[in-house]
Amino acid sequence: MNLEELAFLALAIVALVTAVAALLVRELVHTILLVSVFFVDLSAIYFLLEAPFLGVLQLGVYAGAVTILLLFGIMVTRKRIFSRDAATGLGPVPLALAAVTFIFLVASVGEFPSSPSTLQTYAPALLSAQLFGPDGPWLLLLGVIMLGGVAGAIYLVREGRE
Amino acid sequence: MTSLPVEWFLVLSGGLLAVGIFGLLTRRNFILILIAVEVAMNATILNFVYFAAFAPTSAGLSGQAIAVVLIGFAATEVAVGLAIVLALNRVKGTINVAQATELRE
Repeated sequence: MNLEELAFLALAIVALVTAVAALLVRELVHTILLVSVFFVDLSAIYFLLEAPFLGVLQLGVYAGAVTILLLFGIMVTRKRIFSRDAATGLGPVPLALAAVTFIFLVASVGEFPSSPSTLQTYAPALLSAQLFGPDGPWLLLLGVIMLGGVAGAIYLVREGRE
Repeated sequence: MTSLPVEWFLVLSGGLLAVGIFGLLTRRNFILILIAVEVAMNATILNFVYFAAFAPTSAGLSGQAIAVVLIGFAATEVAVGLAIVLALNRVKGTINVAQATELRE
C-alpha cells in the first residue's frame, strides 16, 4: 500500500465519520463544526486527485461560504446558539433505506474495470476554456441559475410578506 | 504515479449518499435537512471528480466542468434554503419541518 492509498483511506474514514456525527449530534453548532471538517476533508481528497482548482473551490464555497451561511441560519433562528435540538428517533425504515442504497451501490462496484489507469492532471486554463467552451456555456448557465436563486431568496425574505 | 482503486471511491461516495439519505429522512430540523442534502450532493461531486481524473482529456475536462457547476448549484441551493428557513421561522416561530403543515388537507 503506497502513501496515496494510505492518505485516501484516512481521508475517507474522516469524511464518513464526520458526516455521520454531524447528523447525529444534538447541538447544532457542533454539527456546523463537523460539517466544516467534512468539507475541508473532501477538498483534501480533490487535491489528492490532482484537481487543485476544484479543491480550492470546495474550500472557498463549501468550507467558507456554505458553513458561514448555515451558522448564520442558526444564529438568526435561535435565542441561544448553544441550545440543543430535540431528539428524534432514528427509525428502522430510514436506516433500512440507507442500507439498501449503500448495498446496491457497492454491489455495482463489480461493473467497473478494477485496473486503475494513469491519473490525469488538467491546467486551470484548460478547465476555464471548457467552462465557456464547445460543449455549452456551463459558466453562463450557472450564473443565470445563481441569479435566479438569489432573486428567489430575496423575494422569500423581504419585509411585509406574509 | 497515483493509482487509487475505483472500488474505494465508489464505496466512499455510496456511503456518503446513504448517510445523506438517512439524514434527509430522519431529521426534522430544516438546517440539518439542508446539511444532509449537501452530504449527498458532495457524494455526487466526488464521483465526477474521480472519474474525471482517470478519463481521457476531453471527457475529463467535461467532468471537472460539471463538478464546478454542481458546486455552484449547491451554494445557490443553500442560499435559497436559508431564505426558506428565515421565512418559516418568521411565520411559525420554529424551523421544525414537522410543524409546516399548511399544504396538508
